[in-house]
Amino acid sequence: MKVNPELIDEIKKYGAFDISACFNCGNCTAVCPLSKEDASFPRKLIRAGHVGMEEKVASALEPWHCYYCGECSATCPREAQPGEYMMALRRYLIAKYDITGLSKIFYKTGWLQAWLAAGLLAAFYWLYSSYTGDFGALAGKIELAFPVYVTIALGGYIINMYRHTIVKPLGGIKASLKPAHIYDTLVHGFTQKNFNGCEETDWTRWIAHLLVMSGYVLTLLISNLHLLSPLDKQYVAFGPVSLLVWYSGLAILVGGGIMSSRRVLKSAQSSKFSHPSDWLFVVTMFLIGASLLFTHFLNVAYGPGDPLLAKIYRLNIAIETVWIILIVPFTKWIHIFFRPLAVYFQHVRKEAEAGTAFSI
Amino acid sequence: MSLEKIEVDALVVGSGIAGLQSALDLADQGYSVAIVERNPSIGGKMISLSKVFPTLDCASCITTPRMASVSHHPRITTLTYSTVDAIRREGKTFTAAITRKPRYIDEKECISCKRCEEVCPVFLPDEYEQGMGAKKTISIPFTNAIPQFPVMHPEHCIRCGACARACPKDCIDFLQEPAPVEIKAKAVILATGYETTPMTAKKQYGLGALPNVISPMAAERLLAPHGPYGRVLRPSDGMTPGSIAYVQCAGSRDKSIGIPYCSRVCCMYAIKQAILLSGSLPIADITIYYMDIRAFGKGYEQFYNNARAMGINFVKAKVARITEDENHNPVVRIEKQEGTSGPEEIKHELVILSQGLVPACDGSKFGLGAANNEFGFVKLSDETVSSAVTDGAGVFVAGTAKGPRDIPDSVVDAGSAAIEAASYIRRL
Ligand SMILES: Cc1cc2nc3c(=O)[nH]c(=O)nc-3n(C[C@H](O)[C@H](O)[C@H](O)COP(=O)(O)OP(=O)(O)OC[C@H]3O[C@@H](n4cnc5c(N)ncnc54)[C@H](O)[C@@H]3O)c2cc1C
Ligand code: SF4
Ligand code: SF4
Ligand code: SF4
Ligand code: SF4
Repeated sequence: MKVNPELIDEIKKYGAFDISACFNCGNCTAVCPLSKEDASFPRKLIRAGHVGMEEKVASALEPWHCYYCGECSATCPREAQPGEYMMALRRYLIAKYDITGLSKIFYKTGWLQAWLAAGLLAAFYWLYSSYTGDFGALAGKIELAFPVYVTIALGGYIINMYRHTIVKPLGGIKASLKPAHIYDTLVHGFTQKNFNGCEETDWTRWIAHLLVMSGYVLTLLISNLHLLSPLDKQYVAFGPVSLLVWYSGLAILVGGGIMSSRRVLKSAQSSKFSHPSDWLFVVTMFLIGASLLFTHFLNVAYGPGDPLLAKIYRLNIAIETVWIILIVPFTKWIHIFFRPLAVYFQHVRKEAEAGTAFSI
Repeated sequence: MSLEKIEVDALVVGSGIAGLQSALDLADQGYSVAIVERNPSIGGKMISLSKVFPTLDCASCITTPRMASVSHHPRITTLTYSTVDAIRREGKTFTAAITRKPRYIDEKECISCKRCEEVCPVFLPDEYEQGMGAKKTISIPFTNAIPQFPVMHPEHCIRCGACARACPKDCIDFLQEPAPVEIKAKAVILATGYETTPMTAKKQYGLGALPNVISPMAAERLLAPHGPYGRVLRPSDGMTPGSIAYVQCAGSRDKSIGIPYCSRVCCMYAIKQAILLSGSLPIADITIYYMDIRAFGKGYEQFYNNARAMGINFVKAKVARITEDENHNPVVRIEKQEGTSGPEEIKHELVILSQGLVPACDGSKFGLGAANNEFGFVKLSDETVSSAVTDGAGVFVAGTAKGPRDIPDSVVDAGSAAIEAASYIRRL
């Protein structure tokens, strides 16, 4: 096995500044409510980081099983912030899986991504505002392009994650086709159910997440399927589409509001350390909710011809564009996507160990 | 009430092994000493230990002769059951305001016959036995206590008068009041010792509510020749435990409870107790969960190796949590680090928390200029120059009052405090 003596310093660039204090006692693994015999963390990964076992860290699935409840950091006898280390590992791994190399740059350079997002937003807004044709029709096309872009971006991640966690360590292409495993993966994907495995269930955090998640998925649905054409027709205040919009917008605002106030107050262990990209993620999400609500309100109240509506709608589409291009692939958002994958790959590994995996 | 006045060369606060030794050293050199102890007996923590590492000598066999020498020494005045309320510095002398707490007996008349104790009908949990045994509301604190005076606890007394009727010397005094004492001295030695970290220090360890998770002092009593049960039983149901575990660093080296330092004695006393336990319960499984074993003194490593050779099971793991099953069997949760590592829960029948040492008394409250270190122990003015000189002129420190240490180190410290105090007094 090759050893990279710089590994721990490299990981520290993604957070986890205190991890050198760790004296390898194992308290964190023992308190962690999600750590299991077959996926034991964080201590083992901290050790692997300290001794420079780069391949082991790169092929680790455990960081995706961690839901950042902070139990380990709260009880670590050295205040080495092992939970923070797990978060840093997730950032490190995303950077590793990202073919564009942008994640790495963004994570390491603090606010760069935020400035870029602001610049892009201004540029897109200007672009959309100066479009003289039928913007409603253009918006439809833009929105339909979103899923295509997202699929390509995420596809790159999947392939790379697969390469690092399955192909390299297991020496070949392996898969599991068991329906139970695929079902398990889907359940984890939709419910992020391990969240509540955390010892002292943090209900506020869970509800905030649920609100944001549901609001967010609905917003995606509304925009990616182009369910709304506010410049073409007027919606009734409590029609089915309107109800969807009211719920999604409000859920994002309320859920996001709770999360950011906790981030500001740093009340929970899991919100003590924030990376600029976490802020960018929350703020953009907030803007999406707000602009969606405002657009719909103007449409319902003043009809599709309202001049302010035309402006706000363009802003809404511009924000969504930036979101899709810059936020979805390069922030914490992506975690919800890696987590179920890690569950699946874990099954594949077990199958491979037992010799029952499908392989080429 | 008239004020009792005492004038001596040195005042020693605390009568643990460190206080006893420094008082003896000073008195043997010809200085007069007053030693003030807040408990009803002198002897400190050491008198309640079973045996001592690494020689396994009987603790009271070493402590009792020293206690006797102090109490019989012509140049030592002993004040027990007395609190030091304030110490003032006046020029080159210190004036200490002491309060003798009432024992509700006439100490001049009492002949230690124990008649009162025999007839008293009210039982209390015995704090000397760490709450495990029972004692009477009027009783002599423990068998080899010095002085051998009974103490009455008026908050539990039912005023039945049986003790007063039984006492052949008529010395029960229900109306006794606290008595002030003034001590003038030229030097002060702080030997105020330690307390163990409380059972409630770490939330994850059951907050003292799990009956079979006990303190190491309780284990010392279980192992002591005159212990509460005369043998090793577990508190919840009196069963002889077949599987016993020690949780090391249960109150030290843990920033999450605010005590980052190593308490230095807990590895060794756990090993000692484990060895003694395997003597009294030869078939019991004994496990010590440790982060690393700190056996640094002379003969200590050998002691540890002996324990390993005796079959005591040493497991490297920090216990993260202790819960219990329906039969009050403690269950410890650890990360097993050998083989395929992973979290694991292991059931034992008795668990002992190797608690750390924290200061027993805030020495800086007397305003003598002796500062505390960041953990509340008395700070030395320059550790490289002297092991007893504090920031306050004429104020010296001995034993665990300046930080965790074992008995041999406390005794050495006490000698050095006595020498420093003597040379200070001579220079005055
Ligand atoms: C469970 C356990 C087992 C141990 N076993 C061993 C062993 O086997 N071998 C070994 O070498 N060490 C052992 N130790 C360590 C040992 O107990 C200490 O090193 C030693 O007792 C310290 O003595 P001391 O005089 O400094 O303190 P103490 O014994 O604590 O004496 C201090 C005295 O000062 C009194 N006092 C405090 N404040 C005031 C005040 N304001 N006014 C009046 N009086 C006051 C206290 O009541 C106490 O009597 C053990 C410790 C523990 C917890
Ligand atoms: S991170 Fe903390 S709890 Fe975990 S092994 Fe290191 S010191 Fe122990
Ligand atoms: S943050 Fe929570 S889930 Fe993550 S490793 Fe720590 S205890 Fe486990
Ligand atoms: S008077 Fe009080 S102390 Fe005396 S025997 Fe009765 S209960 Fe006990
Ligand atoms: S002596 Fe041992 S048990 Fe005590 S704090 Fe130090 S390492 Fe921990």
